Amino acid sequence: MTKSTSSPQAARRLWLALRLPDLPAHALNLAIDSPEPLVVNDKRGLYWMNSAAAVAGLQLDMNPTTAQLLTGCVLHERDNNKEQMCLAQLAESMYQFSPYIETYCSKHEPQSGLLLEIASCLRLFGGAQALSNKIEQFFTQLFTQRKMTLAMGLAHSQAAAWLLSFVHYPIDDTSDRADFIERLKRLPIDFLHDFPKQVDALEKTGFVTLGDIARHIEVQSISSFKKRFGQTFADYLCDLFGIDQDFQQRSLFEKPVTHFKPKEFFTGQLQFDYPLHQIDQLQQPMESLLQQLAGYLQSRQLQTQHIEWALSDIYRNQNTLQIYADSPQSQWQLLFDLSLIQLENRDLPFEVDTLTLSCRDSLPLQGRTHALDFEPGRKINRQSFSITAAKLKARLGDASVYKLSYQDGYLPRDTNQKISLTQTCQQALPDIHQRAQRPAWLLDEPVIIEVRRQGLYWRGRITLIAGPERIQGNWWREPSARDYFIGLRQDQQRLWLFWDLHKQQWFVQGIFS
Amino acid sequence: MKLIPTDPNATSLEQLLCRGDIWRGQSHQTPLRLVVNSGYAQLNDRLVGGGWPVASLIEVCQRATSHAEWQLLMPALLANQRGLVVLLNPPANPFAQALLKAGMDLERLLIVEAKDKADFLSSFIELARSDACDAVMAWQPHQALSYTELRKCALAATEGQGIYVLFRPDAVRDQSSPAVVRLSLQWQLEQLSVSIFKQKGELVADKGAIDLPLPAAWKGLLPHQQLDQQGKSKPRIASVTPIHGGRRGRR
Repeated sequence: MTKSTSSPQAARRLWLALRLPDLPAHALNLAIDSPEPLVVNDKRGLYWMNSAAAVAGLQLDMNPTTAQLLTGCVLHERDNNKEQMCLAQLAESMYQFSPYIETYCSKHEPQSGLLLEIASCLRLFGGAQALSNKIEQFFTQLFTQRKMTLAMGLAHSQAAAWLLSFVHYPIDDTSDRADFIERLKRLPIDFLHDFPKQVDALEKTGFVTLGDIARHIEVQSISSFKKRFGQTFADYLCDLFGIDQDFQQRSLFEKPVTHFKPKEFFTGQLQFDYPLHQIDQLQQPMESLLQQLAGYLQSRQLQTQHIEWALSDIYRNQNTLQIYADSPQSQWQLLFDLSLIQLENRDLPFEVDTLTLSCRDSLPLQGRTHALDFEPGRKINRQSFSITAAKLKARLGDASVYKLSYQDGYLPRDTNQKISLTQTCQQALPDIHQRAQRPAWLLDEPVIIEVRRQGLYWRGRITLIAGPERIQGNWWREPSARDYFIGLRQDQQRLWLFWDLHKQQWFVQGIFS
Repeated sequence: MKLIPTDPNATSLEQLLCRGDIWRGQSHQTPLRLVVNSGYAQLNDRLVGGGWPVASLIEVCQRATSHAEWQLLMPALLANQRGLVVLLNPPANPFAQALLKAGMDLERLLIVEAKDKADFLSSFIELARSDACDAVMAWQPHQALSYTELRKCALAATEGQGIYVLFRPDAVRDQSSPAVVRLSLQWQLEQLSVSIFKQKGELVADKGAIDLPLPAAWKGLLPHQQLDQQGKSKPRIASVTPIHGGRRGRR
């Protein structure tokens, strides 16, 4: 049994759809009102085009090469990530109008936008019409440089508001649920962009408008659609026409609208009584701002790996300093030390009037696990060294602080691997290497040994005292065959050297220490 | 009732004498200090305190082309397998195979490259102050270190809890240095010769060289002219006569 009435809570909801048909071009910084044909393509074909391209005869889903041949237009690859970022930024700015914001991205059409639930803020803005005017004004101000088309639709549900944004009904305060449904019924079924297969099947069976579907549901029931086209499509139609399914108390099963959560970040600023011209004078204010940041992070159970300092003077010159820690921090001390290391080798570019600290990238506090260790001293040491390591990396660069690991390989150089401090060393040494004599120092590259009449020379005369040990292989990359020897130089230094059978040359590879 | 006053002066004097930095004239009594077993009995006998002094700068001079670092320090590094061993500015890449064979835990080993002198000094001080390091082995950068810079290293070492060894070229042996122990290394045919030429707490430091034995496998087959220096012990014969390798070189 199907009811056409809905619960009071659902009736209270009012959704305003903000559809942005030019978002793909806007995300790529393209001027949509350009007289030249502009085209954005994805894997399937043309995804978006401007009016000049449409006039030139291009069509959506057309092959990009064909489009280029026809009009000579420049192809731009679609960037979904940038589109999502644009939408997120818009959602943040729409937070001033409503706390309930949803983003909508169609999988099949270049149609993305925002959906705002506005029923709760109508009184604040003086009705839906006034609110839509304010939003329109805001958009005009926001996109003064580059034009951005905005289409709006008002309805009782998200799906209905989105569909009504394609037909330009004025947003007013007098329309109610019945009006919205009446407007929907006039739409052709092609507008159901998210259900291309179902639309195709419906067209074949003689359905032309959404009104045909509504009539069919009234005469029979929604269950016939559910059987033929699946639960998702049936739910979508119910949402569109405000049909309550077999529940007596629909409100119990209704999904609550979630609050939009704008991204939070920390920013702190200090303005000085007099301009600072020495680095040392910055230490105290930096410490104070970092302590504020630590308080902010700790109260929100957050951590950060990246902070930014901005130094400004009275003429609005600005210099920024990026500080990165290799592990997330919620305390200020390490960030302070790393900041000082960065400042150590610099001079102030100008007399600093304002110091700003901002922290935009934070993450929830991670529960850290430690290996069960009954030697507490060792555990503390390892933890404290992470701060020393971070300072060393900040000063010398990540590549200058590393660990050593063994890895399987034929040539000695290939068995030595530099790894970062966070990686685990491989320490299982095969028997063949356990038995062999190996030097403690390995040269970066083997050095050619000079051969004179009396023998081998490398910083002194060398006599071979043990060997050879043949190392042969690596044929798939660079075939090598070497006979390794231990050599004794005249200063009694022992060396690891080899005779390269391919190059017919002596090389020194390592030094016994 | 009158309380018997304790003599605070006697106690404080004893306490003062326990400090390592009080000069005690010609007295040979040296205060007890923490040391790490060097792994060589004859070296321990010669070192004041019976081992490598902890939280002190140790300076090792050796020829630029000569390297005997691991032979000297490996036993001490393996004695306490708790903290980190940091190589600051090493002369070449440490070879993982050799270190694993010697018993070193590679998780404890850390390499820091600081070619610039200012970076070297800051890194040394940072590492010495960290209580996570059992040992710091540092090789002087190309630019020579002044007395003041060495003093900074020595002061930083006193804040740590490990052994801090600075390797410098043999040419600086005659220059003054604030290091607590200064010694030089020299390879000999069958041993490593160690001469301690300065040691805190000992006025006459240079009492002759100490010979540390080399691993038997290193001796190999000695050249003919050196066989008579061998004594009675017979050298290990290599599997293939090395003269063969020498001939190849002349092709």
